Amino acid sequence: MRPYTVVLIVPTGIGASIGGYAGDALPVARAIAQVCDRLITHPNVLNGAQLYWNLPNALYVEGYGLDKFAAGCWGLQPVHQNRVGLILDQGIEPDLRLRHLQAADATRATLGLNLTDYVITDAPLNVELRTAPSGASWGTIGNPDSLLRSAEVLIQQAKADAIAVVARFPDDLGSEALEAYRQGQGVDPLAGAEAVISHLIVRTFQIPCAHAPALMPLPLEPNLSPRSAAEELGYTFLPCVLVGLSRAPQFQVTRRQPGAIWAEDVDAVVIPASACGGSALLSLSQLRTQIIAVEDNQTSMQVPPEPLAIKAVRVHSYLEALGRLVIHRAGISADALSPSLSSMHNLSIY
Amino acid sequence: MTTHFITAEIDLQESPKQLHQAIETELQKQGEPLRWAVTAVDTQEQKAQVEAIVTNNDAQPSTP
Repeated sequence: MRPYTVVLIVPTGIGASIGGYAGDALPVARAIAQVCDRLITHPNVLNGAQLYWNLPNALYVEGYGLDKFAAGCWGLQPVHQNRVGLILDQGIEPDLRLRHLQAADATRATLGLNLTDYVITDAPLNVELRTAPSGASWGTIGNPDSLLRSAEVLIQQAKADAIAVVARFPDDLGSEALEAYRQGQGVDPLAGAEAVISHLIVRTFQIPCAHAPALMPLPLEPNLSPRSAAEELGYTFLPCVLVGLSRAPQFQVTRRQPGAIWAEDVDAVVIPASACGGSALLSLSQLRTQIIAVEDNQTSMQVPPEPLAIKAVRVHSYLEALGRLVIHRAGISADALSPSLSSMHNLSIY
Repeated sequence: MTTHFITAEIDLQESPKQLHQAIETELQKQGEPLRWAVTAVDTQEQKAQVEAIVTNNDAQPSTP
């Protein structure tokens, strides 16, 4: 029997009302994982800083890899475990660096993860944050070559199968964007730059990668939104990244091997209805994949499926999307579940 | 290597596949695309607004 495979996308750094904060689309992923055989999703959905959830049938795929997978260029090869290499930005202060190393050690001792020795970049990465005209966050990295040299050492010398990066991000005390984010509003000001970092490594080395920012702890906020709260539990955002990478599928770049998953194996994609302009969705919409566009997960984008010629089923909520997935998997027509069902018509052959 | 933010305006196409190809072709004029998305659509003018990160001087990592 064909495994029913769903891709869940909540694009990063566009203020998604569900999933635009501290891993707050994870409950959606948990629910979808219950109604499919395989769930493919990305770090923005599954990373909740020190919170995470083990979903045995979920595949943790970084955004650049997801785009390549959707385009049919790369396959996903599930693994039992990865040796995860850790890159620490030289710009991280000694105490903050030690916090991250202790977090990494904790995942080894308490969760049994397999980590290699770590690398400190040979120059500060110098991350700067920006906001695009659309409102999406992005950023620049002053020393991307230092990042890539570090990854090369971990892959070639330490035999790492996956790369976790901790870059020092600018502390943003008192900014309006940070204040809104802590109240569960606006756009995550860090997310776009995080994606640039992980995309660079995945594009260059074709192995799993994810990023956690290093920041000084924020002053206590009494009115903190539950959607943002997972990022204020401790000193690092690293545990969820290491957990995700420890079982992230490897990319099949050159030839097809048994057991790998390819774009044509995807049965359905779930996406916010206002954010249909990403590379992965444009690619998957060319296949026999059902696109389910969720209206009440609003974003800062204004890109519905229709003007891009994407044939999508619009639903109001993720609850409704779950119903759509269930009947799609079962081969039941949605029309049959509505009170009125019209009779068939005779098609003319002339 | 340097990372750059760029924008582009692309004519809407008949299919998502054609639009994907048109975007990639346009972005490659300015660097190697790393991450992009259509961020707005003007249905009257039949244009898609694209925001992207591209990289330039794409060199293999080497020992400093």
